[in-house]
Amino acid sequence: MNTEFSEDDLAFQKKVVDFIKANLPKGMEMWTKRNEWFQALKAQGGWDVPKWPVEFGGPGFTPTQRYIFDMEMARHATPPQIPFGVGMLAPILMNHGSKEQINRFMPGIRDGSVNWCQGYSEPGAGSDLANLKTKAELSEDGTYYLVNGQKIWTTLAHIAHWMFCLTRTSSSGAKQEGITFLLIPMDDPGIETRPIITLGGSHSVNEVYLTDVKVPVTNRIGEEGKGWTYAKGLLVHERTGLAGIQHSVLALEKAKANARTVKTGDGSLMDLPSFKNKVGALEAELLALEFTELRTLSQVSAGEGPGPESSILKLKGTEIQQRISELNIEAAGIYAAPWSGQPIGPDFARGATSSYLGGRATTIYGGASEVQKDVIAKNVLGLG
Amino acid sequence: MDLSLTSEQRLLQDSVQKFISTQYSISERNNFIANDQGYDNSNWQQFADLGWLAMTFSEEFGGLGGSLVDSMIMLEEFGKGLVVEPFLSTVILFGAAVELAGSQEQKQAIIPAIIEGNLIGTFAYAEPVEPTNLSAVQTKATAEDSGFRLSGMKSLVFNAVSADKILLSARTSGGDFDADGISLFIVDPAANGLTRTDYATVDGLRASEINLEQVRVERDGLLGKTGTASKLIQGLANRGILGLAAEAIGAMEALYKSTIEYTKQRQQFDHPLADFQVLKHRMTEMFVEYNLVKSLCMKATMLETQGTADAQRNIHALKYLVGKTGRFISQNAVQLHGGMGMTEDLPIAHYFKRLLVIDAQFGNTDHHLNKFVG
Repeated sequence: MNTEFSEDDLAFQKKVVDFIKANLPKGMEMWTKRNEWFQALKAQGGWDVPKWPVEFGGPGFTPTQRYIFDMEMARHATPPQIPFGVGMLAPILMNHGSKEQINRFMPGIRDGSVNWCQGYSEPGAGSDLANLKTKAELSEDGTYYLVNGQKIWTTLAHIAHWMFCLTRTSSSGAKQEGITFLLIPMDDPGIETRPIITLGGSHSVNEVYLTDVKVPVTNRIGEEGKGWTYAKGLLVHERTGLAGIQHSVLALEKAKANARTVKTGDGSLMDLPSFKNKVGALEAELLALEFTELRTLSQVSAGEGPGPESSILKLKGTEIQQRISELNIEAAGIYAAPWSGQPIGPDFARGATSSYLGGRATTIYGGASEVQKDVIAKNVLGLG
Repeated sequence: MDLSLTSEQRLLQDSVQKFISTQYSISERNNFIANDQGYDNSNWQQFADLGWLAMTFSEEFGGLGGSLVDSMIMLEEFGKGLVVEPFLSTVILFGAAVELAGSQEQKQAIIPAIIEGNLIGTFAYAEPVEPTNLSAVQTKATAEDSGFRLSGMKSLVFNAVSADKILLSARTSGGDFDADGISLFIVDPAANGLTRTDYATVDGLRASEINLEQVRVERDGLLGKTGTASKLIQGLANRGILGLAAEAIGAMEALYKSTIEYTKQRQQFDHPLADFQVLKHRMTEMFVEYNLVKSLCMKATMLETQGTADAQRNIHALKYLVGKTGRFISQNAVQLHGGMGMTEDLPIAHYFKRLLVIDAQFGNTDHHLNKFVG
């Protein structure tokens, strides 16, 4: 066991930081120069797809390098990648896709020219995802599936070109069996997307209705009825990513800086013990969670995981994100009340409320906290 | 000791409940908040016709001579219905200030007009620098001829957009954070030098930032004596806290009850969610914590009405619990509704946001816990 970075790791860290400082878009360019940023990452030798294996163009990071890379990217608030293509579908394609599918879909995923969305949840299949009912019937000639059903909470479906979708091809046997993984073009006339406006007032999730959508059999990933197995492997990885630990480290620093600007008695809000203790408690838990993430990564490098322990990261990581957003609400005080976007009160207060409201979803999506606890209880602790 | 409602109070409660159940669905509310002033004039006229605006004023000025408890009964029901009309601003804060500290002429000019539904008032107390500190008054009132000139800023003034009169704290002497030297003025929003920035709050209400530049107020605009308003301001803040607490309790009751209903219906893993013990216990905790706030609210209301020395400490404890429990119940209502709890279509999201704003008013959870421990 060795908790120090090696000389090589430190050199790598410097390389990453130097790169970020030289290339990171500033201010509004974060949005307008996204492509340039990802191109520059790519030119470094696969830094745009840090988790991909070398044979698919990934950088071949060691687990420690990946940790350093992720940490520095988060620490410098670099433009986030939309996860559905690069992070979620690509690993499934690489492991279970045919050569034709890989050649067809991987380039668009890599260069960001094709937007993907994830068609998993349904009105009756939330925490109980395997209960999904969207039906895919194989045509008599065996060339296509006829898909009918409804998906919900589909993030960015309204700008997606394609959806990777879990469908039901058989109702016999256990619920987890008979699920088939299909790739469906969103411009099919049988697809209707309706927006859902959420608590933070924003539109990012949707309902997607599928009516007699014809999906060629060549758009099926792997075998019929094995979709659950393919998706499940990825859900573990999704949980790890959702913990957002480095973002929380950064967010907590910002929350402290915000609180220092709020006059309270003779000092600032940060001088108030009750507030300072909340900050301190979060800081201590984040230190511990950071190292828990490192332990999970070292299991991966030892070829073991990530196992159900990744639920620890999702469970605690999202809880901490929410508590940090509460600190900002508290620091905003009365200025938590004005609806966001209006130049009322201190600058930081403007986004504080919508972040707090929108952030309530983090303990619901990607497997609710109650489900994560069940996963740990059942699969780690052997409790039923 | 008798903690039950009188038959008159039960009738009042019934009449507010009936109004909400027949005229205040969430989609009707969405219509009410859609106009510029953020509420519905005909609702306000109904409040007047039903005697709700007269309830707590003394009979001398056309009121019904009720107590703070009567307001609390109404506000608790308003909380369940997420009522947006300016009852707290006009009756609980502005109207009470006039009744408590106004001259005979001021009372005659204002209270009957409020009762008839013809006058909207509000109370501007918070300023950008340390808004939770009621003594942090940097707005200056300079004596001039027979009147005053006011200059400064006020923040988060609810209902200023529709107000006919604004009650404003301003400093006539002393340093920026001194409790002494603060006076109260009744200002006409149309006065020269008064400008507003109006905005919607998260919960759909309307508030304004108010800027005063050499605003002229005549002598008869002074409420009470100069330099001694601190005690009255604290009293108004206490009434505001009690009123908001009653509303919050109504909202919390609606949240825990609709969460129970939802989890009984929602099926996952071949069972209603309500079958899972962890969720049963969570809802039980919501119910238990709700009851504690409700108890403390009743106690604090009685102490404040009686003017007991202990009242202030209980009010700090109450606002702390309102914030803490409001957060606990609203967060868990969303969590247990899952994705549905995140949508603007269900009332859950709207109660959540109302409780968030209630916490932000008159000092939040932490502020009052610190005041409570001293």
